[in-house]
Formats: sequence, C-alpha cells, structure tokens
Amino acid sequence: MTTPLIVIAVAALCFLIGTRGSARVQNILLPLSVTAILVGLWDLACVLTDTQVFPTPAKTWAAFGEIVESERLWGDTVASLFRVTWGFLLAAAVGIPLGLVVGWSTRTFRALNPIIQGLRPISPIAWIPIAILWFGIGDGAGIFLIFLSSFFPITVGTMAAVRNISLVHQRSAMNFQMTGLELFRRVVFPASLPQIITSLRISLGVAWLVIVAAEMVGMDSGLGYLINDARNAGSRYDLVVATMIIIGLIGIVLDLLIRQLEKFDEVRWGYVNR
Amino acid sequence: MSERTPKVIFENVSKSFDVKGDKLEVLESIDLTVGEGELVCLLGPSGCGKSTLLNIAGGFEQPSSGTIKIDGELITAPDPRRVFVFQEYGIFPWASVWDNVVLGLRHLSKDKQYEIASEIIDLVGLSGFEKTYPMALSGGMKQRVEVARALAVSPDVLYMDEPFGALDSLTRLTMRSELIRIWKDRKPTILFVTHDVDEAIQLAERVVVFTGRPGSIAGVIPIDLEHPRDLGSAQYGVIKNKLYELLGVSHLI
Repeated sequence: MTTPLIVIAVAALCFLIGTRGSARVQNILLPLSVTAILVGLWDLACVLTDTQVFPTPAKTWAAFGEIVESERLWGDTVASLFRVTWGFLLAAAVGIPLGLVVGWSTRTFRALNPIIQGLRPISPIAWIPIAILWFGIGDGAGIFLIFLSSFFPITVGTMAAVRNISLVHQRSAMNFQMTGLELFRRVVFPASLPQIITSLRISLGVAWLVIVAAEMVGMDSGLGYLINDARNAGSRYDLVVATMIIIGLIGIVLDLLIRQLEKFDEVRWGYVNR
Repeated sequence: MSERTPKVIFENVSKSFDVKGDKLEVLESIDLTVGEGELVCLLGPSGCGKSTLLNIAGGFEQPSSGTIKIDGELITAPDPRRVFVFQEYGIFPWASVWDNVVLGLRHLSKDKQYEIASEIIDLVGLSGFEKTYPMALSGGMKQRVEVARALAVSPDVLYMDEPFGALDSLTRLTMRSELIRIWKDRKPTILFVTHDVDEAIQLAERVVVFTGRPGSIAGVIPIDLEHPRDLGSAQYGVIKNKLYELLGVSHLI
C-alpha cells in the first residue's frame, strides 16, 4: 500500500520540479514522471482491488524477464516483423506507382477510384478467413493481410498527393516540355514524395496494429499469438501485459525509423510551409 | 517603337469562363502588338484578366475567340522558347538551385549545361548557392533562381506574372533594377503583368493599361525615359498621373 503512494508522491514532486525546468528538462522529466504516476496508480489499483488475475507492475516486470529468457520473444518478434516488412514493402512497391498513375491520369482515376474507395473501408481483419483459405496458417496469410492494410492508405495517399501538385509546378513542367516517364521522375514523383512518406508512415503504424490482431486469430506464431497463448495457457495476464508493452515499444522504434525518410533535403520542403 | 519587328501579336482576343452555367467575360477584344526585345507592362486592377491574357500567350489556356501569334506562328501550347515566371515560385523545391537552372538544358551535354548554367547563375547573383535547396533561400533569391531557370534556355519571350508580388518592398526595388540589367544584357521580349503603378513606370517601355472586368485596353502609354529612371523627376509624376487617370482612380488621397 505504501510503496505505490511513495512512487506517486515522488513522481508528482519530480513533475512539479520539471515544470520549472528548461525545454530540455521538461522533455525528459515530464513524460517520465507522468509515466511513473500512471504505474503507481496501476499498482495502487491492484492493491486496493486485491486482484488475483491482473498483474501488478512488479509481476509484469518479472514476466518481461521470463519472456526474454524463454527465447520465445525473439522468434515471435521476428515472425511479426517479417510479415509486416514484406507486406508493407510489397504494398509500397505496388501502391506508390499505382497511386502516381491513378492520381495523374484523370481517365484512370475515373475508372479505378470507385473500386479503390469501395475496397478501402473493409477492415483487413475481415479478410482473415479468405487469407487463411488462400494461404493457409502462416507467413503467407500474414503478409497478405499486411499488404491489404498498407496498400489502400499508400495508394490513396499517393493519389491525393499527385492531385495536390501545385498548378505552377505542373505548368513549369509543361513549359519545359516534360512528358512521359521523365515527367513522372522529375516532377510528379518528387512533388508528391513528402505526402507519400506521410502515408507510408501512417500505413506502417496500421500494419503493426493489424499484424497483432491477425496473429491472434489466424496464426501460430508472432507477438499476437504470444498474447493469445499466454492467456490460454493458464491466464498468464502478466505475460499478456508484458507482451503488450513490447508491442508498443517496437511500434515506437518502427515510427522513429520511418521518420528518418522525412529528413532528406529533397522532401523537407513538404513539411514546413504547409 | 515603330521601327521594331513585331514579335507578339494579339488579335481580337476574348476569353470567357463558365461559372456555374453563367458566362463570365474576362477579356474583351484585346488587340496588341509587342515588338521584338520590348519590355511591356500589362497594368490593371486585380481580376481584370491581365494574368489570363498572359496565360493564353503562354499556351496554358485557350482564348474563346481571337488569336495570338509569335513570329507569325499561332500559339496553342507552352513552348520552352517562351518561358513563364510565376509569382508563387514555379521552381522545384525538391531540386537544388543547380538542378533547377539546368532543367531546360537537360537535353544538352554535361559540359554545355555547366557552361550555360554557371554563366546564368553568375548573372543573377547566385554563385555559391548552386547546391542549396530553395527552402533555404529568401523570396528574392527564389525568384532569381526562377529567372535563371528561364534565361538558361535563352527564350525569345519572358512572361512574368507579378513575379515580385510576394517580395518585400525593398527587395522588390532591387529585383526591378536587376531585371533591367538582365534585360539589357539579353534583350528578350518581356511581357510583365503588374498591378503596381510604380513598378510599371520603373520597368516598362510601354504600359498597357487595362480596365476592370471584362478587361479591355484602356490605353497604351509609352515611357521614353532612360534606365535608371529617376523616381523623383517631373516626367515621372506626369506619367504617373496619366496612368492613374486611365485606371480611373485618383492619385490624390
């Protein structure tokens, strides 16, 4: 009872000190103390409700160690990342060129946009039975589902980017008589690239959400499967929560990695004056 | 003016747009001849169709009736012999200054590109900024890049659509004198759209004054003053009065 209260009190004090600090101090101290307060409240709630099922922070930390030592973590993380990477790359490889063409050519847009808009709202989760039917339980189905979940945001984002290319840039290209592939390589693609990168970032986030759900329902490995397995094998909610935290941390790392794309000179213009 | 070879000939050019089923007349029977190497300003209030006329001349839009000929050739599409300079920065922000300037030279050999681009970049005063991206440049420098990109292809005609409109007033003055310097050096025909009376008098050999919508030509005022022009001179004031009169506004406020 006293330990969580002490943690909360110390964290609150750190928070108050942090609010008086410089921007740098605030950036470190404020999120850390808020997190500590939340963990303290979590612990307090466990003590107050005297729960026998939901894990305390300490138990979760122990479970964390258990997963890491069991070596399952590595295999399941690799399985999830493998499916996300391939599904995402395939979706980008198909979605970006398709989005460029559909966005640029009005006739192609008229022909394909209704189909794209009609398929887009179908949750990738709804495709799980079909994915298993076609690919069986395994990586194929996972890659297919991630492909679907990334393909639509990337294609639609690229289409929108192309349709947003400013009139002066289009006219500059016309003035210097750019056509065909050269027009795409020198104007249409680079002009859309900042927004394409934004849609890549969004779809990678969605892909990481979808893979966990897909692995819980239709696969026998991966972090989603690990969660399901932990619950089914004796209600190990400590393992469930520890795995959830790992999923969150990997998500942050994925986002940090893809954000590096926004730092190139060729695209930075797209993120400042908009 | 009269001894010059005619370069750009507007004949009875009219333009209307359909706005929700209604016909909006923008330009009404424009007749104008611009001589080779002449610097002409198109002056008028916002919405008088002067930019539309420039877009038609550039081949970006088609007239509803009438024709525009350059060197006797009917204008139907954009052409790198006639380059447009936009107000809102037509240069490509994803490419360095150098890559922007060599855009129109991409079919030439690397040596030739180097020769022309370095000369032009020097002419517009951007030496040392070749590898810089436009985002890191001031508004005035961006417009210099755009002028350099246009000049690199040695165009016969430059269309300038309020190119200095987005700049602060001091930079605008510098850019005007730079434009005059470059124009004297290269002697392209320049059609310069502006709504700024002073800008028109500082630059133009002839000012074509437009009425409000639908735009038609209210009058053409020749300016026979040598550059650099004295903003405080008596003639300057006289011309300014004439322009204000044609525009239908008083200069006494």
